[in-house]
Amino acid sequence: MQLNHAQRELTVKVVYYGPGLSGKTTNLQLIHARTQTEGRGKLLTVETHDDRTLFFDLLPVFFHTKGGYTVKVKMFTVPGQVIHNATRRVVLQNADAVAFIADSRRSANADNNAYWANLHENMRENGLDAAQVPIVIQFNKRDLPDTKTDEELEETRIKGKEPVIGAVAIRGEGVLETMFAVIQLAYRKMDEQAGLARNLGLSEAGFLAQVFDRIDTSGTQVAGWLEQLQKEDE
Amino acid sequence: MSAESPPRPPESVLQRRLALGDLLDLQTFGELAKGFADLYKVGVKVFDERGNRLADIKVGNGDFCGYVFSFAEGRRCCTATVARVKEGPVSLVQNAVPPQMPPGIPLRGMVTVPCFTGLRYLVLPILWEGDALGRVVFGPFTPEDLGDLPASLTDLTPGIDIALAQRHLAKIRRAPEQTVAKVMLHFAELLEALVAAGQKTYLTSQVHIEATLESNRDLEAQNRKLEALNVRLKEMDRLKSSFLATVSHELRTPLTSIIGYSEMLSEGLVGPLNPEQTDYVRTIMDKGDTLLKLISSILDISQIEAGKVRLTFDGVLVSDVVTSALSSVKPQAQKKGLVVDVKLPPRAVEARADREKLRQVVVNLLSNAVKFTPKGGWVQVVLTDVQAQAELGGTTGYRIVVQDSGVGIPQDQQDKVFQSFYQVDNSSTREFGGAGLGLAIVKSYVEGHGGVVKVTSEVGRGSRFEVVLPAKPPAPGSVISPPVSDGGLPPPDRF
Repeated sequence: MQLNHAQRELTVKVVYYGPGLSGKTTNLQLIHARTQTEGRGKLLTVETHDDRTLFFDLLPVFFHTKGGYTVKVKMFTVPGQVIHNATRRVVLQNADAVAFIADSRRSANADNNAYWANLHENMRENGLDAAQVPIVIQFNKRDLPDTKTDEELEETRIKGKEPVIGAVAIRGEGVLETMFAVIQLAYRKMDEQAGLARNLGLSEAGFLAQVFDRIDTSGTQVAGWLEQLQKEDE
Repeated sequence: MSAESPPRPPESVLQRRLALGDLLDLQTFGELAKGFADLYKVGVKVFDERGNRLADIKVGNGDFCGYVFSFAEGRRCCTATVARVKEGPVSLVQNAVPPQMPPGIPLRGMVTVPCFTGLRYLVLPILWEGDALGRVVFGPFTPEDLGDLPASLTDLTPGIDIALAQRHLAKIRRAPEQTVAKVMLHFAELLEALVAAGQKTYLTSQVHIEATLESNRDLEAQNRKLEALNVRLKEMDRLKSSFLATVSHELRTPLTSIIGYSEMLSEGLVGPLNPEQTDYVRTIMDKGDTLLKLISSILDISQIEAGKVRLTFDGVLVSDVVTSALSSVKPQAQKKGLVVDVKLPPRAVEARADREKLRQVVVNLLSNAVKFTPKGGWVQVVLTDVQAQAELGGTTGYRIVVQDSGVGIPQDQQDKVFQSFYQVDNSSTREFGGAGLGLAIVKSYVEGHGGVVKVTSEVGRGSRFEVVLPAKPPAPGSVISPPVSDGGLPPPDRF
């Protein structure tokens, strides 16, 4: 989190991490397509000819608070190929929250585990305390054969504290839900650290409502979640 | 690893707020602005958020503005207008008004700033990811509906030559405000495309550099780890050799007594033995001797490896050394029925050498020859005169050649036979005994004399070992080092 009172600016960094070809870029592409241009920047993406991320993707979404602050949520992806570990580490620096995009297929289990370990190692190398950086797990590619059952996902969920969300990113399923969950956790952590509600007048419900204000949430669970938060807030 | 790594730069480019100048290729951008100004005959200025000028192309207004500037009040008002345009807020305050545009066209935050002369400026913020990175200023231009010079100008500039001012004004582009505004919006779109491309290039190149530094940091940390490990391994290797030396020494002492007492028994010093007893005691002596030789070899090599061996050079009659070595292997050779041949030069060969070590070199080579040559074969040792030796860079020296008609060494193993504990046949059922130390000792001792040892061999036909030694070894008394079979150590730093 970068909170600059002089420039009245809050920047939140969310990193989409995970094995190669698990669908990190696809997540960002979908969010980009669903967001009105006034609420986002361009999707910066550098890919090789075979659709592999070379450095990172970056999609910023932003809004202005009533108090005159500009809030930017910068979503990055890391390159998934093994050889790009140094780039992964650079992109991961100062992350406020991580969306771990896993491949649901059983055959991808070893890769998921390897990148989970790699994420933690790179957090340590970056001086990030894994216990302090919230992570959301997305099980992508739920539509493919050999995918894990819902019971297996549940088993994964109860093994740790991270929320687990099923997704078919290419069809848009679970993408905004993952974004919602990861930004919600990021907000809670930042609120703990900097008192966003107290100092900036930004409640959790208000923050998320404004992030998603210019995003088309139709057909997703996010609209309902926002509504529920709003009710609780009142 | 992080504890040993050097600190990385505090902040990645991904965390930095970028300035407009970082995101634009200023030369290309300047050309674009100039192209616009030339085509539409209107001045173009671009400032970053700190007011730094990134482009400034003036078109047509020089004479008019210069004339107005020559009046004191004109100068003051002109300066104020320019400051307003350059630094004032890009919003509808402080004199700014909405541009005259048909409804429905997104204005991207554009405002019109009128000049007291009746001219106008259009100012457009450069927005990127919700931040204002700077502004574009178009103008001044003459609005199409401007008639006479306004009172706001003529009142402030008493004595102004209206006709002259009008002539100067005619050089400034006269156009409907919405025309200039549309051109400006088009310019803004192109600028946005340039910024997008520039951001991509800038961020990726910077991240690439950061990733390279990061990899480098990683490699350095790995190197330090490996170096530390290497130091530890060397130390452990030295300890191992030292341990071997101690153990061998401790083993040899009681073994000498066993052999000595067996000898006394077999010689009947403490009473006569029956033939069977004599046979048993001789077996004890024989096996004791074999064991003693093995332990001696281990002791030698471990002392070499522990760096404890010093050579002492003296004047030596090499012919005598060769003869004496030969006599010690002759009994075994005779037992196997081998023909042993020795060729010495007519004149005695005299050289400086460590007599004992040199003798051991020849003994080791000869015992190998005897050991690996089957019954009925032959073993030959040749000593040459002292003469210039190519292998020693032309210095004078002599050669001792030991060859046999034995089993031979396969081509791919000829380099390895000089390594400690190396056996050509290391199976559990191998035919020939030994610890695999003889040639390692030979190589160390020969090199300790500043010489070289070479082998040529053919499986089934025999082997030929050639030792080339200088008549005057270089550093007398130097500590000799263990045989190294790889490419050797890199040279030490020179600068």
